[in-house]
Amino acid sequence: MGSSAPRRFAESRRTLSALLLAAVAAAAGDVVAGGVAAAHEPDDTVPAAVTMDFVPPPAGSYALHAIMPAPDGPVLDPDGRRLPLSRFTAGKITLLGFIYTSCADARGCPLAYQVFHAVRHRVAEDAALRDRVRLVSLSFDPARDTPAVMRHYAAAAAPNGVEWAFLTTERPGRLVPLLDGFGQDVRIEVDARGRPAGPLAHVLKVFLLDERAIVREIYTTAYLFPEVIVNDIKTLRLEDRPARKAIR
Amino acid sequence: MHGNRIRAACAGVVAGLVALAGVAALPAAADETCNSPYMGNLIKGQEDYLYVWALGVKGMGDGSDKLVTIDVNPASSRYGKVLNKVSVRGQGEAHHMGFADDRRYLWAGGLENSRISLFDVGSDPARPKLVRTISDMPAKTGYVGPHTFYAMPGRMIVQGLSNTKDGGGVTGMALYSNKGELIATYPMPTTDGGDGYGYDVAINPQKNVMLTSSFTGRKNYMRALGDLVKDAEAMKKFGSTMVVWDLKAMKPKKVLSVPGAPLEIRWSLKDGDSWAITASALTSKLWLVKPDASGEWQAKEVAVIGDPAKIPLPVDISINKDGTGLWVNTFMDGKTRYFDLSNPEQPKQTYERVTGKQVNMISQSWDGTRVYIASSLLANWDKGGADDEQFVRGFSWDGKELKPAFEIDFYKEKLGRAHHMKLGSKAMKTAYGLERTATLR
Repeated sequence: MGSSAPRRFAESRRTLSALLLAAVAAAAGDVVAGGVAAAHEPDDTVPAAVTMDFVPPPAGSYALHAIMPAPDGPVLDPDGRRLPLSRFTAGKITLLGFIYTSCADARGCPLAYQVFHAVRHRVAEDAALRDRVRLVSLSFDPARDTPAVMRHYAAAAAPNGVEWAFLTTERPGRLVPLLDGFGQDVRIEVDARGRPAGPLAHVLKVFLLDERAIVREIYTTAYLFPEVIVNDIKTLRLEDRPARKAIR
Repeated sequence: MHGNRIRAACAGVVAGLVALAGVAALPAAADETCNSPYMGNLIKGQEDYLYVWALGVKGMGDGSDKLVTIDVNPASSRYGKVLNKVSVRGQGEAHHMGFADDRRYLWAGGLENSRISLFDVGSDPARPKLVRTISDMPAKTGYVGPHTFYAMPGRMIVQGLSNTKDGGGVTGMALYSNKGELIATYPMPTTDGGDGYGYDVAINPQKNVMLTSSFTGRKNYMRALGDLVKDAEAMKKFGSTMVVWDLKAMKPKKVLSVPGAPLEIRWSLKDGDSWAITASALTSKLWLVKPDASGEWQAKEVAVIGDPAKIPLPVDISINKDGTGLWVNTFMDGKTRYFDLSNPEQPKQTYERVTGKQVNMISQSWDGTRVYIASSLLANWDKGGADDEQFVRGFSWDGKELKPAFEIDFYKEKLGRAHHMKLGSKAMKTAYGLERTATLR
């Protein structure tokens, strides 16, 4: 890579950030009247995109390999405080997903939200897990999902003893490295002339991190079952230290 | 050079095949309906591009394996033309490809050099770029011949065909992160009826089932076909099993007996269906894999393809989006056949057409109205002389007739041998391509 590469890279990031902002603006028509679609407390029965038609293997009977370390970078909590993402990814088993509050794709953010609720409900009922598990919803729409918007979005998630952090970033430039590090794609719908023409499009992914912020499982719409996720959380809890070393 | 060698090798091939009652083909999987279920962004409208992974031919152009991009949008002024080509270093028996789950990167393997090339197709879908080469799969895993690339969330399963110890067919799967880091390996089972061989991978998340099939090792697939078919011992070393895996645990649950090298695996995509179909190359049959009344997975023969005694050599297959029809290419007679799968227990051939002097790959658009066919099987197995056509041909399909739409002569264009095909779209351009590409370097 030549010496001018870093500068070109920085320029490309600025260009992409501008493109992202433009796309967000173009998608503004999707915003629910009154501002933001407030989160709804769902039933525990999740209308998953794919029906689960199997009995999952028992927790602890299989390995969850280390896929990659979670990235780190500054995020904003609902009070607008700037904190490192690692504050929300290490120290507990963490289920993390990217959302944007105006997302209307039933198989996208709303599905993830409902699955998170279901997992949270089950974790809350298990005394061995309750204090060891955290949920994180991180917006990939920083232009619209301000801390205040995230606070409003989170309001429907009544406290039940299981931590659930609703986070956003200051600007796309802060978000991009996090998306990049997790491998969360975002496509901008463009018109025939290459201009942003629609909402953000993405393949829904949810990440399960161990207490050391290592990604151990990734779920998508085709395999997003609360029972499996809870089993995986229990599998991580059942790992003893020597076994963890072996897996690494 | 290739023409004379292959012509000589193939002079007695058909007779040899019949006499030995078997030979294996090395087809390839690919089309919009066979992508991993973890890929959420399928192209359900008009595709813009056809990516072709082509084998380099010594003395032809730069002689290297290359990824060729063809414009396949009829509305384009460059319809049916080569838009771009990206060469990789040397000839390594370019074979199969597979998209990562986000469709931003296309992984492509070489069966001879065991190299895996990662192309960025998200930053500019019309102009893929080579961004990483994985060269240490044999050293790190013991597996050789990366064949099938099957997307998992954030990861890629790479099915090997062979091994570093003896070049035979006992092999395994390697799991990589999307950034190309090795995560884990999974040996193909060699107990409880398992032969240890590998070929294709296909997943049904709803059932928590992964199916694998079986082919042969490097010593066979790199050998000149004319020699191979005369070696009775070598001809015994082809796979005869499929394996049902517990997907979550990544552990084999059951080995199914499927004689004759079962190759491509296609799950029905129709809601509620839970069956898959495959073709056995050596015995020229279709096999159905599904649970029986007690929920136990079984494989059973459901149809013959052509006249098995003439060894038509079924290679690639392509299922339509609702599981009601299946394309089958047969290499030796150059035919493209259509089977009605309305009753998957009794597939019926309803159409056939000679689409080339040798045909291997077949891909269809999501709606099934566009069909693409490519010619090459393996460098040492392709036909010789005038029969060694190397092409990509596009057809339209109205449910009754395949009608030629365009053709690219890969020899005339000095592109080599046309093998695996995947579809691309302008709409797959991503927002963060440059950043991700940077991390892969």
